[in-house]
Amino acid sequence: MTTPTPENIRLFHEPRDVLRMTVNDEYSVVQVEPRWAAPLSHPGQLLGLMNSKGEEVMLLPKVASLNVQNQEVIQRELDRRYLTSTVHKIVSAKVEFGATYWTVITERGQRDFVVQSLQENAQWLGERHLVFVDIDHNRFEVPDLDKLDPQSRKFIDSIL
Amino acid sequence: MPSKDFDKLRDFLPLSLRRNAFAQGVLCLLPVMKSEPLQPKESEPNSTGALIRLVADLLENGDYGQRVLEVDSDNVRILEMNGALSATVPIAEIHNARNEPVVGGGRLEITTKNGEKLALISYTHTIAARFSEAARGIEQLAKGEELLVNLKPQKTHCEKCKRLLPEVDGVCPACVDRGKTLLRIARFMLPYKYWAIALASLAFLTTVLNLVPPILQGRLIDEVLQKHTNLPLLFQLILIWVAIALTSSLINITRDRIVAKLAGSIAADLRATVYRAIEFLQLTYFDKKQVGAIASRVTTDTDRVWGFLVEGVPYFLLNGLMLIGVAAFLFWTNWFLALCILAPIPVIITIAVRFWKPMTQMFYKVGQKWARFYIHLNESLNGIRVVKAFAKEDSEFDKFTRRNMELREAGVKADSRWFTIFGGMIFFSSLGTIICWLVGGAMVVRKELTLGEFYRIHAYLALIYGPIQWFAAVNNWFSRAMAGADRIFEIIDMEKEAYLHDNGLKLDIKGEVTFEDVRFGYDKSNPVLRDINFVAKPGEMIGLVGKSGAGKSTTINLIARFYEPDSGSIKIDGVDYREIELQHLRRQIGIVLQEPFLFNGTVAENIAYGKSDATMEEIVEAARAANAHNFIMMKPDGYDQMVGERGAKLSGGERQRVSIARAILHDPRILILDEATSSVDVETEKQIQEAIGRLVAGRTTFAIAHRLSTLRNADRLIVLDRGKIVEVGTHEELMEKKGVFHKLVETQSEIQEIIGFDLGQAEAAK
Ligand SMILES: Nc1ncnc2c1ncn2[C@@H]1O[C@H](COP(=O)(O)OP(=O)(O)OP(=O)(O)O)[C@@H](O)[C@H]1O
Ligand SMILES: [Mg+2]
Repeated sequence: MTTPTPENIRLFHEPRDVLRMTVNDEYSVVQVEPRWAAPLSHPGQLLGLMNSKGEEVMLLPKVASLNVQNQEVIQRELDRRYLTSTVHKIVSAKVEFGATYWTVITERGQRDFVVQSLQENAQWLGERHLVFVDIDHNRFEVPDLDKLDPQSRKFIDSIL
Repeated sequence: MPSKDFDKLRDFLPLSLRRNAFAQGVLCLLPVMKSEPLQPKESEPNSTGALIRLVADLLENGDYGQRVLEVDSDNVRILEMNGALSATVPIAEIHNARNEPVVGGGRLEITTKNGEKLALISYTHTIAARFSEAARGIEQLAKGEELLVNLKPQKTHCEKCKRLLPEVDGVCPACVDRGKTLLRIARFMLPYKYWAIALASLAFLTTVLNLVPPILQGRLIDEVLQKHTNLPLLFQLILIWVAIALTSSLINITRDRIVAKLAGSIAADLRATVYRAIEFLQLTYFDKKQVGAIASRVTTDTDRVWGFLVEGVPYFLLNGLMLIGVAAFLFWTNWFLALCILAPIPVIITIAVRFWKPMTQMFYKVGQKWARFYIHLNESLNGIRVVKAFAKEDSEFDKFTRRNMELREAGVKADSRWFTIFGGMIFFSSLGTIICWLVGGAMVVRKELTLGEFYRIHAYLALIYGPIQWFAAVNNWFSRAMAGADRIFEIIDMEKEAYLHDNGLKLDIKGEVTFEDVRFGYDKSNPVLRDINFVAKPGEMIGLVGKSGAGKSTTINLIARFYEPDSGSIKIDGVDYREIELQHLRRQIGIVLQEPFLFNGTVAENIAYGKSDATMEEIVEAARAANAHNFIMMKPDGYDQMVGERGAKLSGGERQRVSIARAILHDPRILILDEATSSVDVETEKQIQEAIGRLVAGRTTFAIAHRLSTLRNADRLIVLDRGKIVEVGTHEELMEKKGVFHKLVETQSEIQEIIGFDLGQAEAAK
C-alpha cells in the first residue's frame, strides 16, 4: 500500500459531511478527522489526519503543502472541529465579587463571558500568550498580548 | 411556547443581552405532547407542535449568532433567526443522533438510515450538554419511544441586574441579598450571644471612658494651670484620671480576652461547618476544582468571615455611635469651630470611595501574581528529582526569576499607589488639625474660647478621624467578608451526596448488581459509558477488560456510587441503589483503587481504616491474605512503620498490597479491584491472586486487570470498548469466539514474547 504523502492524497466529503481520503487512488480512508497536534503553541503546524479508530493516518507538517482543493476541504472540516475563539479586542473587563466579567470581540463576533478563579482559569501558555477558560469551559485565546490594541492590553494589565 | 412570544420576549431584552441570552439557550421549550400532522412552510416555520426547541449559539459560518433546532414528532429542523429553514430531516429516516464533541463545543450529528451522516448544527460548550440531551430525545423519537429528556430552561443571566451568572442557574454575586448573608453569618454568633453582648457593652464602656480624659484635661488647663492655683483640684482630677485609666485598662484586657475566645470559637465552628459540607460534596465537584482552591475555602474564606464577625460587627455600631456622639459634642461646644475642622472629611470620604475599587483591583492582581509564583515554586520543589535529573536548575531558576520579578513589579506598583492614596488621606486628616489650630487659636486669642475648651476639641479631633478612617476601610473589609461568606454558603448549600437521607433503605445486601441501560459522562455532553446492561449474580467474579480509556474505572466508580448514572439505573439485589442509604451501601463495598491512596500513619492504621476496632490479629490476617505480611515484617517497625505522606515511603507494589489488605479487612459484600495487582511482579501477583481467590468466595467481585491472565479465575468477562459492552462470556468462550477479547489477548502475548516473557511457558512450567 502506498504511504500517503501531501502530494498523493485527495480529500473530499463523501457522503456529505463525512471526510474521506484516497491515497494515490488506490485505497481510501473513510471518516478522516483532522486534528492539530499543538493548536495553542504551534498553530497552523502539524496537522494529524486520524481514522475512525483514532489512529493517525498521516501527519502533515503544514496545511500549505496540500494542493488548493485539498486545503479548502480540510479548512472546512477544521472550521467545524475547532470552535475555539481568538480574542481580537477586549471591550470591557472588570473584577467583581471574585469573578471577572469580560466582553470581547473575537473572529466570531462579540461575546460576554465570566471567568471564575483566575488563577486556575487564566492560563499562561507563554510569557505573552494567554488563554481564558470561562465557566462553561469555552476557551478564549489571546495569542500575543503585544498584538492587542493598548486599550485591550490595559484591561488585561489591570487584572492579571 | 408559540414563537411569536419568543420573538416578543427577544425584543424585550436590551440589545446587548439578546445575543447571549439566546445564544445560551435560555429560551427553549418543554415537550408539548401533542402531535398533529404538520405542513412545514418555509415562511412559517414556527408551527405548533414542537417537542424540542433549542437555540444554538453559532451560525453556520462559525460566527456567534442564533439558530434554532426544532424537533416535532415528524421532523428535525434547523431554522435561522429570520425564520428561514436551513435543514429538515424526517424523524422516520433517522438511525441515530448524537452530540459529537469537538474542540470548544459540539455539533449535532445525525446518521440516517441509509448511512448518511449529517452535521446539522454547531454550538459552544455553554449549551453542548443540552444538545446532547436533545440528541437523545431525537433518538427516542426515531425509535418510537416515549420522549424522556430533561430540557428545563436554564438561567444564564441574573434576572435583576442582567449580569452573566458565574454558574448556570447559580446566584448572582451582585444581587445576593447582603442583609440575608449577614444574618446568616451572624447566626454563627448565636451560641456565643452572651459573650458578644458582653463584648459590645465593654467596647461601649471603653469608648465612653475615652471621652473623659479630655474633659479632665480641659478643666485642668482652665481651672488649675491658667489660674496658677488650686492644687487640691489638680490632685482630685488626677485621682479620677488614674481611676479611669485603671478601669479602662481592666476593661480592655477583659474585652480582648473575650475577643480571643469568640474569634477562636467562631473560627473553629465555621471551619468545621465548611469541612463537613465539603466532605459530603459529590465527586463531580472535586473533578472541577483544584484541591488547593477547596482547601482555601476552609482557611482563607472562613478567616475573612470570622475576622469580620468578631472584629467588625461590634465596632460597626460603636464607631458609628462614637462618630455621631463626638460630632454632636463638638457642635455643642462650638458649632463654628466644629464645622471648620470637619470640613476635610467629605474630601477624605471622596478619596476613599473613588480609589478603593482600583486599589482592590491592584491588590487582587498582586494576589494573582502570588498564586502564579507559588504554583511554580511548589511544582519545582515537588519535582526536584526531575529537575536535578535533567540538570534543569538554571532554567527553573530563570522561570522563578521571571515570576519573582512579576510579583515584585505588581507589589511595588500596588504598594506605591496605596501609600500615595493613604498619604493623601493623612494629609487631609492633618488639615483638620491645622484648621483646628488656626480657627481655634484665633478664637482663643479673641477670648471666644477658653484654652481648656480648645484643648478638649483638639483631643476629640482624633476621636473623629479614627472612626472615619475605620469606616473608609470597612467597606472593603465588609465586601471581602461577604464574598468569603458567599463562597462558604455556596458550598454549604450545594447539592450533597445523598448520605443524609436517613429515610434510605438499610439493606444488608447479598451482592447482586444490575446495570440497566446505564449512560454516564463526566461531562454530560460526552457520554463515557453508553447502553450498559448486565447482571452480576451474588458471589460472581466479573472481569472488566478493554483498552485504556474504555471506561472500566468509570464503571466501578458508578458501582461505588461515586457518580450516578445520567440515565438508566443500577440495582443492587433488585433495588435501585439510590434508595439505599449511601454510607450503609458503601460500608458493604470494598475498593482497591487504581492509584492506591494511603494516609500518613502506620501500616496497621491504614489497613484498619475501614474497621477501626479491628484487632491486631485481624489486621495480620488481612495482610497475610494480601501477601503483604512478609514485607511488613521486614520493616524495622513492622506494622507500626510510618508510610509517609500518601504512602510515599512504600513502593508501588507495597502500597497496592496494603490497600488490598485494607479492602479485605473491610469485609465487603461487593469487592472491587481496579488494577489491584498492576505494580507487583508476576510471582507475587499469583500469590495475591490465590489469596483473593479464597477471599472472593461468596462475594461479588469486579476485577479490572490489564494483564489478562490475571482474570482467568473470573466467572465472566465483560469486554468494554469505547464505553460500550462488546462481548460477554467466560475466558474460554471469548477465546473461541475470536472477537475483541481474543485480539486483546493475542496482542498481549505477542508483546510479552517480545519482552522475553511468555505467559504460556510460565503457565506450562507450573
Ligand atoms: N474524572 C474524570 N473527568 C473527566 N473525564 C474522565 C475522568 N476520569 C476518566 N475520564 C475519561 O473517561 C474515559 C474512561 O476512563 P476510565 O478511567 O473509565 O478508563 P479505563 O478503562 O479505566 O482506562 P485505564 O485502563 O487506562 O485505567 C477516558 O476517556 C478518560 O479520559
Ligand atoms: Mg482505569
